[in-house]
Amino acid sequence: MDVVSPASLSQALALHAEGDSRFCAGGTALQLDWAKGLAKPARLINLARISELKRIEQSDSLARIGALATLAALLETSNLPGTHPLFHAALQQVAGPSIRNRVTLGGNMMGRTGCLLPALLVLRTKVQWLTHTGGLTGSVQDLLTASASKGILTRIDIDAQHPGERWLFRKIGLRAAFTPSVINVAARLLLGDRNEILEARLAVGGGIVPPARLPEAEVLLTGRPIETIDWAQVHDCLMATIEAPADAFRSSEYRRKVAANAFVHGLGGDLPGRRTFPVQTPPQPLDRPAGELALSRSARPEAWHQRPDVAPKVAGKLAYLTDARQPDMLVGRILRAGLPHARILSIDTSAAEALPGVMAVVTHRDIKGSNAFGIVVQDQPALCFDKVRYAGDAVAAVAAVDAETAERALSLIKVEYEALAPVTDPEAALLHDAPRIHESGNLQRELHFARGDVEKGFRRAAHIVEKIYVTPRQMHGFMETEGGYAFVDDHETLHMFAGGQHGARDCLQLSRILAIPEDKIRVVTSPTGGAFGGKDELTVQPALALLALKSRKPVRLQLSRAESMLAGQKRNPMSIRMKTAIDSEGRLVAQQVEVLAEAGAYASLGPGVLETALEHAAGPYNIENVRTHGRIAYTNNGVCGAFRGFGANQMTYAIECQMDKLARLCGLTASEIRQRNLRKPGMTGYLGQRVAPTERADEMLAAASHSPLWSLPQGLQPDGEWIIGTGLALNYQGNGLGSAVPDPAGGRISLSRHGSIEGGFGLDELGQGLLTLVKTTVANELGCGREDVEPVIGDTARAPDSGSTTASRGSYVVWASTKLAAPEFSRQMRAAAGCILERDPDTLALGKGGFFERGTNSGEILLRYRQLAEQLDDKDLPSVTVAYEFPKNEYTGGNARLIFAFGAALARVAISRVTGEVRVLDLHQHTAAGPVMDLAAYLGQIEGGALQGLGFTLTEDAPMRDGHYLTSNLDTYMLPGIQDAPQRMQSFALESLADGDIYGPRGVGELGIGAVTPAIANAVFAAIGHLPTVTPIPPETILAALEER
Amino acid sequence: MTVGFTLNGQTQSLSCQPDRTLAQVLRDDMGLTATKEACSIGRCGACLVLIDGKATNACLTMAFQLEGTAVVTTEGLDNDALAAVVRKALAEENAFQCGYCAPGFVMALVALLKENPAPGEENIRAGLEGNICRCTGYHSIIRGALAAARMVQETLK
Repeated sequence: MDVVSPASLSQALALHAEGDSRFCAGGTALQLDWAKGLAKPARLINLARISELKRIEQSDSLARIGALATLAALLETSNLPGTHPLFHAALQQVAGPSIRNRVTLGGNMMGRTGCLLPALLVLRTKVQWLTHTGGLTGSVQDLLTASASKGILTRIDIDAQHPGERWLFRKIGLRAAFTPSVINVAARLLLGDRNEILEARLAVGGGIVPPARLPEAEVLLTGRPIETIDWAQVHDCLMATIEAPADAFRSSEYRRKVAANAFVHGLGGDLPGRRTFPVQTPPQPLDRPAGELALSRSARPEAWHQRPDVAPKVAGKLAYLTDARQPDMLVGRILRAGLPHARILSIDTSAAEALPGVMAVVTHRDIKGSNAFGIVVQDQPALCFDKVRYAGDAVAAVAAVDAETAERALSLIKVEYEALAPVTDPEAALLHDAPRIHESGNLQRELHFARGDVEKGFRRAAHIVEKIYVTPRQMHGFMETEGGYAFVDDHETLHMFAGGQHGARDCLQLSRILAIPEDKIRVVTSPTGGAFGGKDELTVQPALALLALKSRKPVRLQLSRAESMLAGQKRNPMSIRMKTAIDSEGRLVAQQVEVLAEAGAYASLGPGVLETALEHAAGPYNIENVRTHGRIAYTNNGVCGAFRGFGANQMTYAIECQMDKLARLCGLTASEIRQRNLRKPGMTGYLGQRVAPTERADEMLAAASHSPLWSLPQGLQPDGEWIIGTGLALNYQGNGLGSAVPDPAGGRISLSRHGSIEGGFGLDELGQGLLTLVKTTVANELGCGREDVEPVIGDTARAPDSGSTTASRGSYVVWASTKLAAPEFSRQMRAAAGCILERDPDTLALGKGGFFERGTNSGEILLRYRQLAEQLDDKDLPSVTVAYEFPKNEYTGGNARLIFAFGAALARVAISRVTGEVRVLDLHQHTAAGPVMDLAAYLGQIEGGALQGLGFTLTEDAPMRDGHYLTSNLDTYMLPGIQDAPQRMQSFALESLADGDIYGPRGVGELGIGAVTPAIANAVFAAIGHLPTVTPIPPETILAALEER
Repeated sequence: MTVGFTLNGQTQSLSCQPDRTLAQVLRDDMGLTATKEACSIGRCGACLVLIDGKATNACLTMAFQLEGTAVVTTEGLDNDALAAVVRKALAEENAFQCGYCAPGFVMALVALLKENPAPGEENIRAGLEGNICRCTGYHSIIRGALAAARMVQETLK
């Protein structure tokens, strides 16, 4: 593509007349189009050098704006809020601050999808544009209807608004801010002396909604006193006349309805639907547990440690594994199937290999080992050979001198496919005549569990609630997409540097694929820019390894966000049918659970997710009669696997909502019904397994019952729009992998050559704060200084296997390994120092910087650790490695955890009667996970987990149609932004353990996400009497519930 | 095409395709990887740089748009007094976890504080609307940003 930058309008027009070209203002919308695959023109005519187009002149009566003025420049225009308040309000709602530095007013208008168009349609706006035949002047409508694309928009003149007029601009989106538009509404009412409407101007637009005035509704409003307006009639008229198409995210009816609501409510009318809402009975306060800590930096300033990696991170100096750049490094790219289900007939790579600059092309033919991987079930090919089973399946890979060459080479690989019927629904996948995705059939795993007599239990029921809870295909959304680099050294060892969650297992899996012994593969997995379970399975490593081995050069490879979206794992979508019964006393008597989960194309950890979900089916409650049945089905929809919560959070959503629904039926409060059914110390686990002695569900419920949130305003707010309610949910999350799978753990403490005390763990720093944890734990246990401790992690060549950095197990592994290794390490250290100092080792103690005399406060360092290291041979450096199994019970009937952490979440939410959106105002989380090992990290896990839970509940889903994603990037995949974060968050920790509990700190990696969804859902239920059973909660269903009288 | 601009104070003459993005130029052509890239379509803010003093998405800035501009990347903030305050406050608050979004947030906050040295939480939230963080839940970033604003106030006294 050629770019020309004319200095004048006439030059620009002349260039345009020469053919295939486009004008470019800020260029942001153009680039979004290109990212979606739209063709680039042969020539781009950059208008940015024509300075007259950037001018902004403003008087009390008029804003005269050059088409190339940026939105940021307009927002900086001093008087705009006074003279043009509607326009100013609209500007603030377009994109985000940095985008507004590039987006121009003209660009926003000429794209026809611009958020500002409805505002400009209701303002008195005159536009000028220039075509080959001369200048034209007209209204915004004229511009939109004219074939103005052939000309250049030059100037926009907007008359000031009238003092005292009534105006409205509102953008309705998919999240609170920085969102694509669902529909935007703009309105102005000019009022006369007697409040009669002299003129009404209404318009909609934004995104896929065609920008348009709404003349029929304007007629209904004009000429009448505002207090006599029949708003119901106006609403009906708007519903009938607004044109708004549907897309994958919102229906046409929803768009029209929220627009009509926004107009009516925003202009002072009454909204349709009910105005009376349940009055919430707060739970009665139970005995407050002693010793709960409100987590904040000021709560324990002495325990607030700055993480060692945070300063380099904020300064951009921390090198992630995807940041490696060296001159001889090749760039790798992966060819994806593009089809959800097809047989591969042939793969021809000859043209790609012939392309200059291509150094390696690999296919299944290059795989010497087993072309199948998977943490538990090896059913996923590293590179497909017979079939492709989802659109993101890897078929081939290329390494070339640069990204452009590699991408060109991909396009030259010819793969012939025979398309097969895709299976895109788990229910349909299990029909007997469904096409088989794998030879073994589409049912990946089926699990049953029964205790007592469910039928008998249901016969005793006073109330039964049966609901189906549906949960989304949530994306992990780590900011650093999957990637890294690899090379083969002179000793034929493959070095794999790629973000992951268990280097030793990645090594094992690569060894199987490549037929290379594990000791010839080194895997480095830290630092990783976020994982949340999504980097537990292999991602880019197989392709990267094959490319490095074939090219014999270092190769780097990172997925673009779009490729990560297409190929990367998501959370297993689930449908949970739960039938729960209570007797007349409010005691749970029976529960039946039926789960259908979607595996996607390959199993990965999906079966484990299902099993974990079922293990949490009773939450922290005691139910005598239970029957559960779970199935997980293969489909051709993407791949799914581990994700923070690992099935437990989905199940917690179901059981905690059942509890509130049952409470309502029998007239109990949220705390009363729970109190009657809570687990008690000494009980076995849900499956009958032995569990750790600490039970804290009682305390969590009691803490939640005292929450100040119950006494904040609830119900319909004076603005007539927002209805506030508060909900509660308990949390019960297992730690570790469980009884049925090997769960080896371990670690090492050693004195390094340069005199630091190394805490060696094959765990990964994914963001959770492992480095601080290692420093604090080792220092506390040995008595040395935190600065003496050097964490050595995430590298199979330097740290022992500690198991995976998943399942809330890392904190325990560091703590337990250190406890186990420290006495012997201390003995070795003191013995070696004693030798040098010619002192009895028992008179020595480890302290900050070195050895001190035990039992004195002399403060004199007798020998520094560095000095000790200098005097020892390598083989004599103290070092203790421990290996053990993560604590588990003896249960063999299935997978059952020993250790659990407890929590309670409270959400205070506001529900919009205009849009059906739910906003979380307050989120409080009470947690009981044993001792807080690091205050900042603990708080970070609870807060961070909370927002992922909030996203799961309100905004996040990756919908699919016919085996293809309907979202390809963060423009429509709605990760929560800063304005979606609760206005206030507070987290608490209850640290005590039961007497005799030897299991120390529980992990909190998953505790923060577990109960957020049901807390929000229960808050909605409390506020409007409608319990949302689908997440993300469709605002349309909220509006429907508000319309029921 | 060849474009001339200044990068962190140094004059640059860059030869590349005109539609190559600044994010690609920085990360892949110049090895300046402090600028992160996480969506490539301006929807996450990880790649923010200052162009003529304004926070701008490097992934949405095409090479031809750089002509005559002054670009400051995260590397270029090392000697910036305001950035030093922002970095210190955010680090002390442990504002980030995985940290991949952190350079972009710092850039957005530097731009915000340059324009408004006394922002409240509402201004901070508005100023960070274009930045996505997946780890923290944002509140640690807000606390860090408020601390930075307080530190800026102290230095202005």
